[in-house]
This record gives sequence, structure tokens and C-alpha cells, in this order.
Amino acid sequence: MNRLVTVAIALTLMISGCARIGAGGENEELVVFAAASLTDSFQEIGSAFVEQYRDVTVTFNFGPSDGLATQIVSEGVADVFASASPRWMDAVANDGPGIIERRDFARNRLVVIVPAGNPVTVSDINDLGRPGVKLVLAAEDVPAGTYAREALAKAGIVAEAERNVVSNEQDVKGVVQKIVLGEADAGIVYVTDVTPAIRNRVETVAIPGTLNVIATYTIAVIRGTEHLALARAFVAFVLGRGQRVLERHGFATGP
Amino acid sequence: MSVGSRDATAARSSFGSTVETRLALACGAVLGTAGLALVILPIAGLVGRVPWSRAGDVLSSDGALTALALSLRVSTSAALLALVLGFPLAWVLARPPFPGQSLVRAVVVLPLVLPPVVGGVALLAALGRRGVVGGVLADLGVGLPFTTAGAVVAATFVCFPLLVLAIEGGLSSLDRRLEQAAATLGASAWYTLRRVTLPLLRPQIVAGLVLAWARALGEFGATITFAGNLRGRTQTLPLAVYETLQSDPASAIALSLILVVLSLTVLVALRGRFLAAR
Repeated sequence: MNRLVTVAIALTLMISGCARIGAGGENEELVVFAAASLTDSFQEIGSAFVEQYRDVTVTFNFGPSDGLATQIVSEGVADVFASASPRWMDAVANDGPGIIERRDFARNRLVVIVPAGNPVTVSDINDLGRPGVKLVLAAEDVPAGTYAREALAKAGIVAEAERNVVSNEQDVKGVVQKIVLGEADAGIVYVTDVTPAIRNRVETVAIPGTLNVIATYTIAVIRGTEHLALARAFVAFVLGRGQRVLERHGFATGP
Repeated sequence: MSVGSRDATAARSSFGSTVETRLALACGAVLGTAGLALVILPIAGLVGRVPWSRAGDVLSSDGALTALALSLRVSTSAALLALVLGFPLAWVLARPPFPGQSLVRAVVVLPLVLPPVVGGVALLAALGRRGVVGGVLADLGVGLPFTTAGAVVAATFVCFPLLVLAIEGGLSSLDRRLEQAAATLGASAWYTLRRVTLPLLRPQIVAGLVLAWARALGEFGATITFAGNLRGRTQTLPLAVYETLQSDPASAIALSLILVVLSLTVLVALRGRFLAAR
């Protein structure tokens, strides 16, 4: 028993020792919280950033902008925040640690997606209000969910469509997943969510410009970060070289 | 030599020196306290952050009551369904060994250790609209994803190993001679099951049901993956907590309190059952 205790304590010390060595290396780590819709583009931007700056690690936490903002407000663990909606950047600025260098950096539009084969023949956003269509949206406070409901309201079918909703997903990627799996008939996502990886598994139905909603993405450095210089460099990178990456992923940039 | 010192000698010879024994005890006490703290601290932290001034409003809100009612319906249905499906399986597993028995047992226990989200994906693959069985069901007009029935299936999937294991344990330690005696006295198999086996197994059945119910109550990953998240239909309390946490952590903490209190009550009640059964 005595030996067992000794071994257990030795193991514990070893493991915690390892953890300390791992965290205390030369590498400076930047923690970036970013909207789920930025997953692919920001990963690419992150790689390019690391290539240029070396000895830095960029750790991403992708999720719904509302959830990310709430985490920053309560725990303040991020160095940079990229939100799919100004609303949740305001929340961090007003209720949380505060922000510096807030900049809009990209725009996005909505599109209706249906599983390959379009099982219930959705050909227009108005079809989403037709009884029996299984519709999946992002939850109401998630930017993609807020924007989707705005578009449905502009089309005048928000009540009908809301009755068709079978699931409120936690982020926009959850909507994509349900359509890719073919479990729901239609969903509303950003045009950038129709990535090459899923292009042959879904079909898109465009939402006309008059009914569409423009999502403005905004980025900022979180006040109090221990990596201020690096965080500023990352924001500058997104506004510089990152713009071309974002365009390649379907975002609109520039004024 | 007094009796006390002879005991001490015996202790020394079996545990080594008294110093080592004391050291081991001290280590045990420290680690044990740390272990207890690991569980108690987060719960205490949660309770400490409950916004008591608003808790009443949050807990009596439509959303909370709807989620609570749905959670109770889903977890109760899941525990009962698990009993119906799990009892025969436990019966087979408690029989004398047969080829492949350990494999069957491993498969039955799998949902207990599988990440629930994987369980959800697996359920979609089998019972989803494009799934192996789900496709046939869909043609018959029965769809499980995005329905309360789907939430019950997801909860049953994760909770039924607990029930099978509890009942199997009871069956294995059952004195089979009682059943044989009933048979020699002319009782039919059905009568023996009803009047001899089931009453003897009651403590294990109750324990299994309660554990399965508590597990079903806390189910999250398989449910949100397989059944989606819609208030009143598939949004159980854990899903409501998660959704609320995204934008209103204080309310989410108040909602969490219902789950903590419910689970704790059930486990304390179960402990009483176990003691009463012995």
C-alpha cells in the first residue's frame, strides 16, 4: 500500500511537472475566439500568421458568437475575438473586459441549403413556410439564427417558418451538419458555409438581395491581454493578408 | 503484556512499521479529501453563483417548466423502456456461460463508455431518415429524429447498460434453488417468474431503474445529435441549460440547480433503498 501511494504521488508530480514544462516554453500562445462560420478561413489565416511570425502558436476556439462572447465576459480568457455580429462584440465591450482596436473585416450573406436531391423541392425562400418542410435554423441568439429570422421576416413568412423549425442548432455548423446528414429538409446558413467539402452533398437556393441580410464580421483585441503586441499583429494580419484568404472562402471584403 | 499491545504487534507485522502505517493513513486522508473536494467544489461553486434574487423567476418561467416537464417525461419513459428491453438481456447474460457471452456483455456495456455524441451519430446512422432501419421507418411514416420519441430513444441508448448490469448482478447472486423448488411444486415458468424471481430481484430492479432514470435525466450529447433542440419537443433540461449558457449564464446556473437537486435527491433516496434491502 505504501509503495502504491509513493508511486501515485510520484506519477502525479511527474505529470504536473510535464504540464509546466509544456506551457512554459519559448512559444508565445495567442488565443483567438472566432465565430463558427470563420472556421476554415481563420485556420488558413492562422497557419499563414504562424509561418510569418514563427515561435508563436495560435489557438482557436470556434463557436457561436453569443457563446464565445459570454465566455469572454465571464472568464476573459481570449486575446482576440472575431464575432459574426456587432451585437456580441458590443456585449464584450460593455459588459466584459472591454476591447481595443475594433475593426469590421468581412461581410457575409445567407443562403438556403437543402440535402442533395432536394427531397421536398425547395426552390424559393418562401417554400420554407410551406407546411411539412423540416427546417433547421441556428438558435435565435446565434448571429446566423438572428439573421435567418430577419430574412424570413422580410419575406413575410417568419411565423409559418418558425412552425416548421425542428431544431435550433447551437451554431451555424450544426445547421450544416443536419442538412449534410439529410435529416432535415432545409436550413439557412452563410454562403461561406457551403465549403468544397460539402458542395456535392447539399444544394443551394439563393435568397434574393432584397430579402437577404448582410452579416458584418468584426474583430478586436481583448483589453487586458498579456500578448498585446501579438494580438495587434494578428488583427492587422486579418485586415491585411487575411483579406484575400477570406475572399477565397466566399466572404466580401473592402468598404 | 496487555491485550492492546498484542494488537499493536499484530498490526505492525501486517502493515510494516507504525510510522509507515501512519504515513499511509495521512496520505490516504489527504488524497481522499482532495477527491471529495473535486466533486464538492464545483457543485459549491455552482450553488454560490446562483442568482437567488432572479432564481424564482427563472425557475418558474415557461421555458424552464416546459424543459423540466419534458425531461421528466423523457427520462421516465427511457428508464421503463430500458427495463423492458434490458430485463431479457440481463436474463441471458446471467445464464451459464455460452459462446460469445462476454462479447454480448461488452456490446451491452458499450454505451456506458462511448462518448454520447458518438452514440447520437450512430443512432442517426441506424435510425435517421437515411439510416439502415430509419429509411424503412420513414417510408412507413415514422420519423424518430427531431421528435420526443427520438429523445427517448437517445436517452434509452445511454441508460440501459446501467439497468442490465444491475439486474444481471441480482440474477447472478439469486439462489436458483428457489426457482427450482417452485417448479417441483408445479408452478409454471411464468408463475415462478412473477411470484418468486421478480420479488427476489426487486431491490436490484429498483436500483437499476433509478440509476438509469438519473442517467437519462442528465443525457445531453446523444439527444442533441439525434433528436435536435426544440423547446417542448426535444429540448430537455440539459439542452436548455446549454442553450441558455450561451447568452445568459446566470439563468443557466439557476436551471442547473434543478438538475443537481433532482439527481441528488434520487441518489440519496436510492442509498436508503440499498440499506433497507440489506
